[in-house]
Amino acid sequence: MVLLQLEKERLIWRARQMASPDHRCQSSFYPNLDAHLQGGWPQTGLVELACGPMGIGELRLLLPLLAQAQSRLQVWINPPAELNGQALAQHGIDLSQTLLIRCQNPQQALWSAEQSLNSGCCSHLILWAPKLTAPQAKRLQVSAKDNQALIFWLNSQAEPSTSALPVSARLSLSPLATGLRLQIHKYQGQWPQHPCQVDMHALWPSLTVPSHRPTHLVKAPINNIVALPLQLR
Amino acid sequence: MQWLYLYFPSLQLDSLLNQQAYHQPCVLVDKNKVLQANPEARQWGIKIGTGLAQAALLCAQLKVIAYDAKQEQRLLLQLAQRLYQTSATLYLDPPQGLLLQTSDMLRLYNGLDAYWQQLQQPLKERGLNYHYASAHSPLAAQVLARVGNDRLLKDQRQATKLLSQLPIHGAGLEYKLALQLERLGLNTLGQAQALPRSALGQRLGQNLVTYLQQLDTHSAPERSAYRPPEHFRQRLELLYEIEQSTALRFPLKRLLNDLEAFLGPRQLRVAGLSLGLEYREQNAERLHIGCSDGEYRGEAWLALCMLRLEQLQLQAPIIAISLNTKGQMPWAPLAAQLFEPPGGKLTPGQLISRLQNKLGDHAVQQVYLRDDHRPERSFYQGPPHSHYQTQPATIALRPSLLFALPQALGHKPNHQWCILSGPERIQSGWWDNVSICRDYFIARNPMGQICWLFRTPREEWFLHGYFS
Repeated sequence: MVLLQLEKERLIWRARQMASPDHRCQSSFYPNLDAHLQGGWPQTGLVELACGPMGIGELRLLLPLLAQAQSRLQVWINPPAELNGQALAQHGIDLSQTLLIRCQNPQQALWSAEQSLNSGCCSHLILWAPKLTAPQAKRLQVSAKDNQALIFWLNSQAEPSTSALPVSARLSLSPLATGLRLQIHKYQGQWPQHPCQVDMHALWPSLTVPSHRPTHLVKAPINNIVALPLQLR
Repeated sequence: MQWLYLYFPSLQLDSLLNQQAYHQPCVLVDKNKVLQANPEARQWGIKIGTGLAQAALLCAQLKVIAYDAKQEQRLLLQLAQRLYQTSATLYLDPPQGLLLQTSDMLRLYNGLDAYWQQLQQPLKERGLNYHYASAHSPLAAQVLARVGNDRLLKDQRQATKLLSQLPIHGAGLEYKLALQLERLGLNTLGQAQALPRSALGQRLGQNLVTYLQQLDTHSAPERSAYRPPEHFRQRLELLYEIEQSTALRFPLKRLLNDLEAFLGPRQLRVAGLSLGLEYREQNAERLHIGCSDGEYRGEAWLALCMLRLEQLQLQAPIIAISLNTKGQMPWAPLAAQLFEPPGGKLTPGQLISRLQNKLGDHAVQQVYLRDDHRPERSFYQGPPHSHYQTQPATIALRPSLLFALPQALGHKPNHQWCILSGPERIQSGWWDNVSICRDYFIARNPMGQICWLFRTPREEWFLHGYFS
């Protein structure tokens, strides 16, 4: 009975669950990423994104999600440069629900992150921080889970920290002409997976090139004769 | 009309000892005479009016405190402020008395006894010694309370009888006048009342006649009734010096509790506090603590104040603190979502106030838009929750991360860079002397970063942002 209850609340993970998609996910609004992650980003918790150099598309990965979820505050802590309000507004982000925090030292940044999460009025938090220790990550993870919030921790490491940090998901990002290549190192409740390509051409046509489509999917006309659609016959 | 008089013979001493929980012999002294003494001191034989030297002889470990008339006045005002919650019409009778009109309140409390029980509560909380009496006229109640009648007289005849039995020296008359009456052979007040007024007036002066008349006057005193202040303002003198800012928590908590008691019944909240710290040998300092949503709960304010105080280095020991409020506004329940997610403990405004008090006002900001084509000026960061413009000024694609100062690239982008779009010329600002003329390009560099570059007319290349 207890086991059933725990399973219902997804506190126990069974290997056979892999096939069933977790409905407690929020869509990333990138169809192939959603398919790959079986539903999208986790609903709550701490997601580590190892981005390497800034500007490869790490925010473009998150902007569609942030533009959709604006019932509560979105907090940005210590972005590496000025946040361009014009760009955020262009992508449909409500600036009145956006809070920007700049801290002198990492301790204060973590304090503000924890306060924002614990206030319960913050749905998404984007934190730029070079390093987190396991207790710090655990505290953020617990605060986020308790308050129904999702926190993205962006760092400039090329590869994510090898130590087993208690995070919901750990991904590393590398740039591609078509968008981003995501290596998923850890995703709670799923098996390790092969890398995934995020196609950003649909949302950012001028920044990315269209992905190369396999030829067998496009029906090549034979002898330049195209069959007339049925309705027009 | 029915009146109740409360007399506090040792107001200042009681308040001080109650704060400190002090149980040693202690007296309040003015001009070398004991004015107020606590029960422990009385056990040693010290009485009111004893000389200081004699009191010191009677009890070696006597603690002596100087009497402060202003402080007593302040205490009386605070007491009036508290009793005003129970009783609508009250008059201050400095230095140690309060006069309450009871007849209007009896219907509300359903009788004098229930009303009196309500009144006693705050007096007991403060550990005050008091005498009381109720009578048909303000003066009669005052005279009876001062002799320690301590009874609620519902019948006018009872009060009149008690008054007439009062010895002439205990009737609150001037000493000289009482002496004159005594020499006439009038030992009780009743005997004086029985004589014809005009004859008394001729022989002993108009004062006595006025006094006797007032004993029977039912109407309110001529001075105006107590009106509670519209703004909270309180000062707390510390009994000990405080050298660490965090130790201010406890005295501050008391002030904030009073603030809550002040704001709560008025259905008000305040947007800011001004906390005054008075140093021993330096000028006072004022700290401003804000809460944009407004707050009335003492506990919430305490948390905000402590965030600010934790960072404060005291330059000198603190001897007193004071509290003023700013931006008083009516309390309104905050609009809450019925199905809001669990754990909605704070409102955004409260969160912002908390962050601002810890990190400083400039650390917490919001981004606002401005109609300008120059990228650096098309947005700005300002304090949260002020006016905002949400319509983007341009439809051209802009980078999400922008450098405040463009970084010189040093070279022209070479063949390894892939120009994705451009040029987009921005030439603007001739009217305010910050004119720019730039050709912007979007380019992907060899590391895969998508950069926003511009070229000046002098063929210099700069990196201005990333399409992160």
